[in-house]
Amino acid sequence: MHGMTSYFIRRLLLVPITFICITLLVYTVIRLAPGGPIEQAKLQMQQAMATEGGGGAAGSENLDLPQEAIDQLKAYYKLDKPIIIGYAIWLGVWPDEAKGGFSGILQGDFGTSYRFSDPVLDTIVSKFPISIYFGLIGYLLTWIVCIPLGIKKALKHRSLFDTGTSMIVFLGYSVPGFVAALVLMLLFATDLVWNIFPLGGFRSDNWDDMWAQGEYWWCIKDQVRHTIIPIIGYVMGGFATMTILMKNSLLDNLGADYVRTAFAKGLTERRVIYVHALRNSLIPICVGIGHAIGLLLAGSFLIEKTCDIPGMGLLGYNSLVGRDYPVLMGIVVIAVSLRLLGNILSDIILAVVDPRVRFS
Amino acid sequence: MGFVLTLLQVAVVLFLGYLLAHKAVPWIVVKLGRKLGFRMKATPITQKRIRRFKHIKRGYWSFVAITTLFVTSLFLEVLVNNRALVISYNGRMAFPAIAEWFDDVLFFTKITAFNKKSDFGQIGESEVDYRLFEKHSEDPSELRKEIEDRKSSLTADRAAHEASPPAADAKNFEKRKWEREGRKLDKRAAQIAQMEKNLAVFEAGDAWCIMPLYPYAPADLRHEINEPPPNHPSTSRAIPAGTDVSGRDLVPLMLYGFRLSLLFAILVAAVGYAIGVVVGGFQGYYGGWVDILSQRFVEIWGSIPFLFVIMILASLIQPTFGMLVIMLIVLRSWLGITYYVRGEFYREKAKDYVQAAIGAGVSDWKIITKHILPNSLVPVVTFAPFGIVAYISTLVSLDYLGFGLPPGTPSWGALLRQGLENVKFYPHLLVVPTLALAATLYCVVMIGEAVREAFDPKVFSRLR
Repeated sequence: MHGMTSYFIRRLLLVPITFICITLLVYTVIRLAPGGPIEQAKLQMQQAMATEGGGGAAGSENLDLPQEAIDQLKAYYKLDKPIIIGYAIWLGVWPDEAKGGFSGILQGDFGTSYRFSDPVLDTIVSKFPISIYFGLIGYLLTWIVCIPLGIKKALKHRSLFDTGTSMIVFLGYSVPGFVAALVLMLLFATDLVWNIFPLGGFRSDNWDDMWAQGEYWWCIKDQVRHTIIPIIGYVMGGFATMTILMKNSLLDNLGADYVRTAFAKGLTERRVIYVHALRNSLIPICVGIGHAIGLLLAGSFLIEKTCDIPGMGLLGYNSLVGRDYPVLMGIVVIAVSLRLLGNILSDIILAVVDPRVRFS
Repeated sequence: MGFVLTLLQVAVVLFLGYLLAHKAVPWIVVKLGRKLGFRMKATPITQKRIRRFKHIKRGYWSFVAITTLFVTSLFLEVLVNNRALVISYNGRMAFPAIAEWFDDVLFFTKITAFNKKSDFGQIGESEVDYRLFEKHSEDPSELRKEIEDRKSSLTADRAAHEASPPAADAKNFEKRKWEREGRKLDKRAAQIAQMEKNLAVFEAGDAWCIMPLYPYAPADLRHEINEPPPNHPSTSRAIPAGTDVSGRDLVPLMLYGFRLSLLFAILVAAVGYAIGVVVGGFQGYYGGWVDILSQRFVEIWGSIPFLFVIMILASLIQPTFGMLVIMLIVLRSWLGITYYVRGEFYREKAKDYVQAAIGAGVSDWKIITKHILPNSLVPVVTFAPFGIVAYISTLVSLDYLGFGLPPGTPSWGALLRQGLENVKFYPHLLVVPTLALAATLYCVVMIGEAVREAFDPKVFSRLR
């Protein structure tokens, strides 16, 4: 066990290093970016002047912000400090004069959104339910479909059923999820073939009112109708990987010595397959559970942009387009931390469910 | 009849593409390799793998289809273009489409494909309208009719002009205006005279041109349709796949997009894997601190949310094709393969033949390149098709989100975005690129499956 412990300690030590490297990289890129908050403020100011109407020749000459305002803005956004200091303040290891004391990620202060002036953490957390909703359903759906399918394919290896389902599953793998969602929307959300699903959105606009009025049945139906197309887009790509993983894993085990022994001692085929072999072949699948922590972030830019779902992905996309860098950094922080934790969790789960595994 | 003829031409072109891709290129490579001193003969194991690959029919046929289409698409400038292959007018000859192809292939030099109108029987100094030229050369009566129309309108204008000379006591500027109008009419008369000369050449049969198979370029706007774009597909109006929101024909867009996507993915995969093999090879061969440190680096680098970073970078500077290729190589494509190559090198190094070579005092470089490398390329070969699928999808996704290639580039992703915006009324904008994308990616996945099966077969034994 000694080797294992030191392995996990090493993995855990690597987490903060990775975290700092990635966030510093993204922070630097963002800081060097043109079109930051100062430019945005200038632009807003110019637009305001223009719409105020006929500022005339005198007004248009002096559209730039006064120098002291720029300095104030710079100080506010910490653009007057070197990148590394700005990063340290953001991280919370350097005192922030404006707030008096340390206030950064480490203290749980993600800053304030440029666009909405809301705390970033609140904005991000408010998107969690949607991401978890789609993530959870997607996970369950993948398991419900792929594990039985993988088993059946393994038992009927090289049969017509195996080849046929492989072709279908690989079609799902090759077409990007958002393209599939687009096609489904074309087929089932417009008048072209059959108009039964809505064209995007998380739920109908009047959903909350209907829920308050006690129209639960309508609400559930509405939610399901809004869920089907995006969820197919979300899970389709993973189907192939999961199915083939399950199939190969079971096939590996069916050829193993212990299966031979089990047959030799006269167990029924059902028992050998579903009790002995299946248990071992589920190990690689279980390892994936570690990444389930990524549920919080299950969103993808592409699907959420396509289906207009106000989740984490769309938030990231919109903050990128709107140059809302604190939100962007917040999403990067959460994405990176969840991925790193997920990797370690997977290792731990593997070590727990499979006593043969030894890391070093 | 015309349809059958077109189909026949397409078939001939594809057959030539097949010959080039599957006969000429391998032959040249083998000859060249022999000249350079390589043995150029597959080892029995490789031969067996290739045989196995050919045996898996759907993978092999996908391979034939994709390579043939790709090699053919390298000649798109002379197959699908608005410039003529050959144009001849009154003894003057030019090869604009071929010149454009050479200009694209030899990108480091400038070869001009531009021909001005006045040299080729049209009025003006801009680029010749080759399609109009073809029409006139086949049937000059239209040009004659246009000349007649112009003549009659000129006579009418001239008469009106003569009938209203300024009075003797008119102001100077009015006189000058009248004179100016007269000069304009003279100019029109000269133009008509020039057109009549052109018409004589066309009627004498001294003007001819050969247009490419599909005479439209991806940037061409189909103004002649006379209907606000996007236009639905229609064979009667000669837009078999419709037009996009700015009126560009979808056929050349799809074809040039195919070439662009595949070229992008192949470049990213090839360069990335080359770097990955070098890095992984050094890690596996030398081991020790080099291995541990670079392994950690690869791990950290791999945790970067790369699509996000590319999007941030792309929102700062409009990336070009080359920049996107480099970004994707640096951020992604070299990483995954290092693990596998490192493992292969690690395993191979421990084997007797390598130890024997080390003992015999063979240099590290020679051991790596001559002994281990050929034996550890299986993961590269099996990963490449799936890598290509992933990078095509990445390019399409970036273009779709608007963080990809510059606007105007023939890309599938940009069209999909138009499809999303027009899903209700113009489904062809969605259907056409989706079909192209799905067919291409599916074929590449099939190739990947077959390659994996052939190069890295899993033999499953079952008792019952």
